[in-house]
Amino acid sequence: MITTSAAFIIVVEFGSVLVCGWLLSSYLLSVYSTRRTKLDRIFGPVERAIYYLGGVNPYEEMGWKAYLRAVLALNAVEAVIGFVLLLFQGSLPLNPMHAPDMSWSLSFNTALSFSSNTNLQHYNGGSALSYLSQMAVIQFLQFTSAATGLSVGIAVFRGLTGKTKGLGNFYVDYTRTLVRVLIPLSGVAALVLIFLGVPQSLNGYTIFKTLEIGGSEVVKSGPIASLVSIMQLGTNGGGYFGSNAANPLTNPSQITNLFELALMMLIPTSLPFLFGRMLGRMKEGRTIIVASYSLYFIDLVIAFIPITHLGQGMEVRFGAASSVFWTVTTTAFTTGSVNASLSAFNPLVILAALFGMIIQATPGGIGVGAMYMLMYVIMTVFIVGLMAGRTPEYLGTKINAGDVKLAIIAFLSHPIIILIPTVITFAIGAQAAAGLGTNSLSFTQILYEYTSAAANNGSDFLGSAGNTVYFNVSTGIVMWLGRFIPIAVMLAIAGNMVQRKRYASEALRTDTFAFTAVLIVAIFILAVLTFFPFLAIGPILSYLEGFKNGF
Amino acid sequence: MKKSNSLSVPIRIALISLVACGLLFPGVVTGIAQLAMPVQANGSLISFNNTTIGSSLIAQEFNYSGFFHPRNDSASGLDPDITVQNATLQAARIHNVTGISIAYLDGIIKENTKYTLFFFGTAYVNVLDLNINLAEHYPSIYDRYTL
Amino acid sequence: MDSEPHFAVTKFKITKPKLYKMAILKDSVRRLSPTLLYKNVVMFIVEICFVIVAVMAIDPSLIPEVSSVSEVPFYIEVAVILILTVWFSTLSDSIAEAQIKNTASTLRKIEKEVPARKIVSEDRREISEVTSKQLKKGDLLLIKKGEVVPIDCEVMEGIAMVDESLLTGESVNVRKSVGTTVLGGSMITSDSIIARVSVNPSETFLNKLIKLVESSSRPKTPNERAVSILLAGFTAIFSIIVISILALSVILKLGLDLSVLIALYVSLLPTTIGALLPAIGISGINRMSEKRIIIKSGKAIEAAGDTDSLLLDKTGTITRGMRTAIEFIPLGKHTKRDVGEAAFMSSWDDDTPEGKSMVELAYQEGFVPHEFAIIERVKFEEFSASTRKSGANLQEASDFFLPKGGKGILQHKRIRRKYDPESREDEIDIIKGAPDAIKEIVKTIPLNYDNIVDDAAKSGDTIMAIAEGGEIIGLIRLRDEVKPGIKSRIASIKNMGIKPVMITGDIEATASSISREVGIDDYVSRAKPETKYDLVKQEQARGRIVAMIGDGTNDAPALAASDVGIAMASGTEPAKEAANMVDLESNPAKIIDVVMMGKQILMTRGAVTTFSIANDVAKYFVIVPVMFTAAALSSLSKLNLLHLTPHIAVLSALIFNALIIPFLIPLALRGAEFKPQSAMRIFLKNVFLYGLGGVILPFAGIAAIAFVIAHFGGI
Repeated sequence: MITTSAAFIIVVEFGSVLVCGWLLSSYLLSVYSTRRTKLDRIFGPVERAIYYLGGVNPYEEMGWKAYLRAVLALNAVEAVIGFVLLLFQGSLPLNPMHAPDMSWSLSFNTALSFSSNTNLQHYNGGSALSYLSQMAVIQFLQFTSAATGLSVGIAVFRGLTGKTKGLGNFYVDYTRTLVRVLIPLSGVAALVLIFLGVPQSLNGYTIFKTLEIGGSEVVKSGPIASLVSIMQLGTNGGGYFGSNAANPLTNPSQITNLFELALMMLIPTSLPFLFGRMLGRMKEGRTIIVASYSLYFIDLVIAFIPITHLGQGMEVRFGAASSVFWTVTTTAFTTGSVNASLSAFNPLVILAALFGMIIQATPGGIGVGAMYMLMYVIMTVFIVGLMAGRTPEYLGTKINAGDVKLAIIAFLSHPIIILIPTVITFAIGAQAAAGLGTNSLSFTQILYEYTSAAANNGSDFLGSAGNTVYFNVSTGIVMWLGRFIPIAVMLAIAGNMVQRKRYASEALRTDTFAFTAVLIVAIFILAVLTFFPFLAIGPILSYLEGFKNGF
Repeated sequence: MKKSNSLSVPIRIALISLVACGLLFPGVVTGIAQLAMPVQANGSLISFNNTTIGSSLIAQEFNYSGFFHPRNDSASGLDPDITVQNATLQAARIHNVTGISIAYLDGIIKENTKYTLFFFGTAYVNVLDLNINLAEHYPSIYDRYTL
Repeated sequence: MDSEPHFAVTKFKITKPKLYKMAILKDSVRRLSPTLLYKNVVMFIVEICFVIVAVMAIDPSLIPEVSSVSEVPFYIEVAVILILTVWFSTLSDSIAEAQIKNTASTLRKIEKEVPARKIVSEDRREISEVTSKQLKKGDLLLIKKGEVVPIDCEVMEGIAMVDESLLTGESVNVRKSVGTTVLGGSMITSDSIIARVSVNPSETFLNKLIKLVESSSRPKTPNERAVSILLAGFTAIFSIIVISILALSVILKLGLDLSVLIALYVSLLPTTIGALLPAIGISGINRMSEKRIIIKSGKAIEAAGDTDSLLLDKTGTITRGMRTAIEFIPLGKHTKRDVGEAAFMSSWDDDTPEGKSMVELAYQEGFVPHEFAIIERVKFEEFSASTRKSGANLQEASDFFLPKGGKGILQHKRIRRKYDPESREDEIDIIKGAPDAIKEIVKTIPLNYDNIVDDAAKSGDTIMAIAEGGEIIGLIRLRDEVKPGIKSRIASIKNMGIKPVMITGDIEATASSISREVGIDDYVSRAKPETKYDLVKQEQARGRIVAMIGDGTNDAPALAASDVGIAMASGTEPAKEAANMVDLESNPAKIIDVVMMGKQILMTRGAVTTFSIANDVAKYFVIVPVMFTAAALSSLSKLNLLHLTPHIAVLSALIFNALIIPFLIPLALRGAEFKPQSAMRIFLKNVFLYGLGGVILPFAGIAAIAFVIAHFGGI
């Protein structure tokens, strides 16, 4: 289904993302180092004001435990703020369309969803949220969760690079991420989106009489562009509306479609380059970028095997190829903002999407994608590195039993928090409340739901059908575990490595294409080993049955 | 060295973030948008006979068989476009109902054709654009059915 | 006899235990007990699986829903294969332990209790007869000719010839004088000595090794521990997967037989590496012992594999440690023959390596004086006998001088040139020695003598002058020859990415010429004893892992500081204390073997781990398509790449999984094939062999087993 023209556009898209990502990495290097730059004159006073008001000592260097405590404390407070605002949104200002209070379980789910950078939505934002909630819950948490992810990614980089005493200071990283990266970039992106037709207003919803006599429509305008910009840039993915990026008001044309795709790819693409720059060895960054993009291309190839026709559940202005491309990309970068209905696709597209969320590093979400890739590198180096005849080492540090244990915990947590709730769902028959049966499509949908939650992706099959107490609570918990267990573990690995002795020579050269190839195969095998039986009775079975609903 | 790990720090930083990201950022962007790009910022509203008839971005419902009809199964439910293939099929019906020549209908379809991949890909047209064109050119036929 | 017995690598004469010796079989069965097996998580789980399937075979109704009575024969087959899998694992442990016990008992022969004569009184008159076990550090012993040295001790008085053949496997007598160490288990073959015990009997390095290899709770090395954690992690992953499948199958009624699920589980578990991991560790220690290297901890082997920098003493490691004559250079009117003949005659009874080499060179070049035959036959013997009698006499008779720098020998010989044994002709003086020293005592010095000597010395060789009748007639060029094969070994080291650094007390010219000849880029000349320590520290500061050898007390700090320190057994006790390995053969060149063996052990562990995990891909494709019997899942059979029926697929996968263990036991015990190459090349070769091979081989293996079962199994 991939025509020359589609291929051409994909190449142009990737080309510009890679170039911009490479350029951005150079800027990011200055953001996360203590090096003085010209921009300090603009941003410096703002940051100092935040440190002053927040009571932050910016000179405090944190070990991994202090860094993690700060991450958890801040995100918990932010989630609580979101939860409270949703619970009482009906009586709060900026609610011209009189959205009612959210139920406790949906507020719980939404607060955990957005604070964990997942953005799984069991509600329809167009009708269920007030302007205040769209701004002070959704956009607020989209900014803070992205800033958290990026900060953690940087802290992990620092640990592995081993050029600092500790992992940095979380509040400083977080503040600088917001002030110097996310707010400026997403401001520019929002203005571009507005120019291209995405609305941005606070005038409430307006009812118009339509062309045909007797007809009417509601134009649900609102602070859409400011939300879409950070939702894509921060690989968040929770849309303004339930139909997310398929809605013409959030994604009015093919140009906005490609622009939004580029936005979600930008920062995850720049981070491997940043890693290389921080190390002073660009080739190590190359390994990460080549491995993650190769896995992403494998996903794309799987998704493009079947011919997808423009059909139900897809938007005409994007066409079939763009819809498939978007679906794979939004899961590969664990954003989750869909531009078509997932039920529109061939099971192989779903399989490709699941792969992205299983691996989580293709290239994955903002900050954490690179973090997961480093987890795979550590595991791969450990498993195969011995075959070079030396105890395994990465970037000059020996990988010890403690690191292996931690990496395994991070890797293991993913199948646990996906499979156990999936089994429980069917065991207690909870899928019935969401209108699902016990066939392989239903199985795929539930598996997808928890995979998406655990991977902090947010794309889903259920949508507002998932608004049951059971799904709200269970996915809420899975989202936070899926977010913070790996973060805790990877910070621990980084914290343990930062001061570890560095050796000059490495037997296993991780900056080679040979290693990159081994890494790709290893990640693929690890993913297959963990999920193959479940993919087999889900999307693979559906595909083998010829798109039927399976068992 | 002073440590920033008491609970007051995360609470204060969270509140600062709330104000900056949740209120100031969307507020400032809205202000700029309303001043600099009011048309787009308010949903690209479109007029017919000096009356605003809604957003050009979202699909409108049409029941009269003399109009082009949008799809009603798509992902957002608001898809304003149909494929040229679909429009051509509908043209035959419109011709039968209204007597407007196939040549004219094909002409406006061609005029309004866009492609999913800019210059290639699937050809499609905006339903509202076609119907406004018809209503403006054949007021005698459409007056009864329009606003 | 080999001219350099010191460097011959002799293997332990250890009889390999027979694979199916009754004791080994018994031991392997004993190890099946859960109380012993629980330490090996993977195998313990397989045993639990065996119990479950056995229960199903006895009474399927005990485990309803996922079992059926009609499948009982199949359950029996599965149960048998499962317990065989566990047994193959315990068998590999038993074989490895049998080997090491064999090694240990060989070593014990050296350590056996022997009588000792302990000096108890101040005046050394009073002597008490004790056994070696009763000795302690600091005791003074009297050891006489023909006695076995009871324990490692330092010679305090006397000089004796010692036979160390029991330790080194090489029957050559070594001269031990005051300050040197005599090893427990060696035998005094001449004279008597008084020696001081340098170690407590329970603390000898041999004892440490025996303890290490015999203790059942052999501590895991850091890397072994990390691999164990990895295996536990995989076990946890597969446990979660299998439990989820079981639950889903029951809830969604997918039609699953528990025995099939267990088969999938066991196939996926890293049984291969789980079974062989202990054996790989034990065999590593064993192979070191076979090379007569006593390791004090398993950790040292791993560190050896990680070596980046290898500090090599020039003398003894790179060169033979003795100079040999390579050229006669005549001076003035004299001919090569004159010089050769003089050298021959003066050296005939000279037992030093230099002297022997002059005789050999002259002989080869045909410079044997024709009258020498007569001398030899008639009178020379007498003359020779008188000079050889003892070291002290030789010194008096031949006037040894040590010239500046401590090198070279000045030897003065009087030879009676007698054509007729009865005649009384004048004696002829032949003097050979360092050119400077010779200059002082002769009457006639050739023109430009100093320049000629300097030119000749430029290449790094040692030059000796030879004078006859008070006139310098020529020079002899001697060279400390590079050991045969050392150049290629250095190349191997460099290929492995290890930097060899040569240390020598020689002058710059000699050091650079030798290092260039063998291909070493870094060397330190004019090294003092403390240079080694500085060098170790300096290399480590550069982030390198350093291996070195040493024998003297001077080396102890450097040995302690280095990551891999090997002490010569003949070295001093402080050196042995500081090192983490001791070489019984005292062969410095063996450090290279140690590094290679360290790498080999790590590689073997990595290879089997990778192989084990790669195997899972095939097993998934064999079992998953036939796992669910529900009709709705029949389309999964399209994934059944080998087109096997469910029973045959499951049994073949399980049998393959079990058989691969004994198949790989030799690999685990012997180590993966190792050729010195760059790490990346070794890595890629192994990735292809064990990674890619690990994916492909099980498909072929399972297909072959399935064929056998289908055609000959009668199923």
